[in-house]
Amino acid sequence: MHSPGDARPASLSDRARRWFAAVRPDNLIVYLGFLAVVVFFAVVLQDRGFLTADNFANIARQTAMVSIMAFGMTFVLSAGEIDLSIGSIVALSAMVVAILLRETNLIIAVLGALAVGLVIGLVNGLLTTRLRIPSFLVTLGMLSIVVGLARITTDLEPVPVVDETFAFLFGSGSIGPVPILLVWTAAFLVGFHILLRRTPFGRQVLATGGNKIAAGYSGINTDRIKIAVLMMSAGTAAVAGMLYAGRLQGARYTLGEADLLTVIAATVIGGTSMFGGKGSIVGALFGSLLMGVLNNGLLLMGLTVSEQLVARGVIIIAAVALSLREARA
Amino acid sequence: MRIKRSMVTLLGGVLALSLAAPVMAQDEPIDLDAATVGPTGEPSTAVADIAPLTDEEVAQIAEGGYKAALLWAGAGTWYNALSKGAQERLAELGIEVVAESEADFDPARQQTDVETTMALQPDIILTLPVDPVAGGQAYRPAVEAGTKLVFVDNGIDGYVPGQDYVAIVTGDHFGMGKKAAELMADAIGGAGKIGYIFHDAEYYVTNNRDAYFKAAIEQLYPDIEIVAEQGFADEGSTQEIAAAMIAQNPDLDGIYVAWSAAAQGVIAALREAGKPDVKVVAYDLDATNDLDMAQCGNMYGTSLDWPYLEGKVMADLAAKALLGQEVPPFVTVEAQSMTRDNVAETWSSNVGQEVSPEIAAALEEPCQ
Repeated sequence: MHSPGDARPASLSDRARRWFAAVRPDNLIVYLGFLAVVVFFAVVLQDRGFLTADNFANIARQTAMVSIMAFGMTFVLSAGEIDLSIGSIVALSAMVVAILLRETNLIIAVLGALAVGLVIGLVNGLLTTRLRIPSFLVTLGMLSIVVGLARITTDLEPVPVVDETFAFLFGSGSIGPVPILLVWTAAFLVGFHILLRRTPFGRQVLATGGNKIAAGYSGINTDRIKIAVLMMSAGTAAVAGMLYAGRLQGARYTLGEADLLTVIAATVIGGTSMFGGKGSIVGALFGSLLMGVLNNGLLLMGLTVSEQLVARGVIIIAAVALSLREARA
Repeated sequence: MRIKRSMVTLLGGVLALSLAAPVMAQDEPIDLDAATVGPTGEPSTAVADIAPLTDEEVAQIAEGGYKAALLWAGAGTWYNALSKGAQERLAELGIEVVAESEADFDPARQQTDVETTMALQPDIILTLPVDPVAGGQAYRPAVEAGTKLVFVDNGIDGYVPGQDYVAIVTGDHFGMGKKAAELMADAIGGAGKIGYIFHDAEYYVTNNRDAYFKAAIEQLYPDIEIVAEQGFADEGSTQEIAAAMIAQNPDLDGIYVAWSAAAQGVIAALREAGKPDVKVVAYDLDATNDLDMAQCGNMYGTSLDWPYLEGKVMADLAAKALLGQEVPPFVTVEAQSMTRDNVAETWSSNVGQEVSPEIAAALEEPCQ
């Protein structure tokens, strides 16, 4: 008879089953939903250019900035906070990088724009933790401040980006058929996924969001976690700003205006809880891709703006409703 | 099973929506030769035909200690030029600018702007109404207080010139649309296929320019065919629209875009798709697009009005109204065209600025 403590050699099927249980996403329905939308458009748009390598490259490029910001937002929401200032950080960092590229060189420009994002994130974090103001309000106020700064920076005029190396590396280039924006997305995907799922830091983030008091008692410095995640989301917004500047080869104070809601939607559709404690980087990617494919497909179908808006809203609500139903079941 | 069925029903609904796409509304055909008239049918006056203020009149205004408020609909290069013209002329006339604001194209915001500004008791309001219909209510406090209202680009439905407002100063939008069509014809050699990216929202300025462009292409250039049409409301979405257009129409020769900021996305999409020969035509000055033009890229030309001059004229007309003079109720500024050949001169005359060093450098290199 085996006693409980005896080790048994794990069979191959046992290991396979355990591995599958570990990587199986909590909200399978979002991935199925994404697949369903792709199949739907593939059928309806057979001869209208949907199922081409060029179109998928387009979708990859169009979703890159939102995906990267969604990865940052996943950490913020998982920790029980929110960052409403990302859209304006996109604009400010794009302006800063464009101006610095004109006056200095690429390295300084990139570091400068990144620093702008990280500093804003740090301020957000300090105001949230030291002054105990809810991050919703802090980042809301910061949104307004940063928008004003972005406008003042160039007196509302757009700034062209002429540095070709920057433009290639930060958005316009391709390595063979693979757009460089896809490389950026993949890099952030892998990095942030490992950070969330495989490091103590990631576990601490989820613990802080799940139950802040218990997390504090188990020795986690929740203040430092909150500052860190707010810096991460501001940092991803700064990177997104640079990618916009590189892709458009110009910076404008209106960049990123419409992105906040899309980023939050992508993150939440992907399975991250709005109340903290649960997050999925891969889910955020698929949430972003779902919306990117939707935008792309509805456009190729020739719908007017009004029709696209209605269809998009209906499908997003349906996707979230179904994924929540599956999660609860 | 249940999940799959509701998914199918949902997607079926979307499909139904697409198939029930609205039939294109049949507008009355546009008469391209009709003279530009104002909203109540008044004929237009050219700027050159307005009697300038005499030195005594200018001195008289300066003594009046008048105050002005500038309330715009939006912000950007065009508005900067408009405001600069207005502010410079107001300064020359000794009129103090007590407030300047922009409403981000939100009629409710504009109503708030007007109400708040009235607390400063301005004698003049120079403004671009966001919404000619809702604006009737928004500007009511100013009309009742006897403030001299001068509009640019949009009027207000139901307002009477000489009574409720002084005048409307406008670029010739009909003319701009026609000039844009000329530019497109030049760009693609008089024949070919083009995409038409228009502004899908109620906005007098863009609706008129878009309509006149389309009518001019259809009536004057039978060898040019609009093979793809797509509207937009958010200027950030034009990159995706252009990418889709090119994917579905790989033999496009040109693309028309409703305004300059929106054109930037189109140029980026053409660059990504590797289409250096597709020409883009839009409106208004823009540092980024004009650099592309100088570099012999996709941007071929833009049609312009003259916001700097419009600002100055607005200030002059307001001053004349303060002196009790007769003011022409509807003043138009002629449309102009800009291509690579006259980029530098246009920047200098249109907004009083030198072109950026990058544009100047790019203009030195000839096109291949």
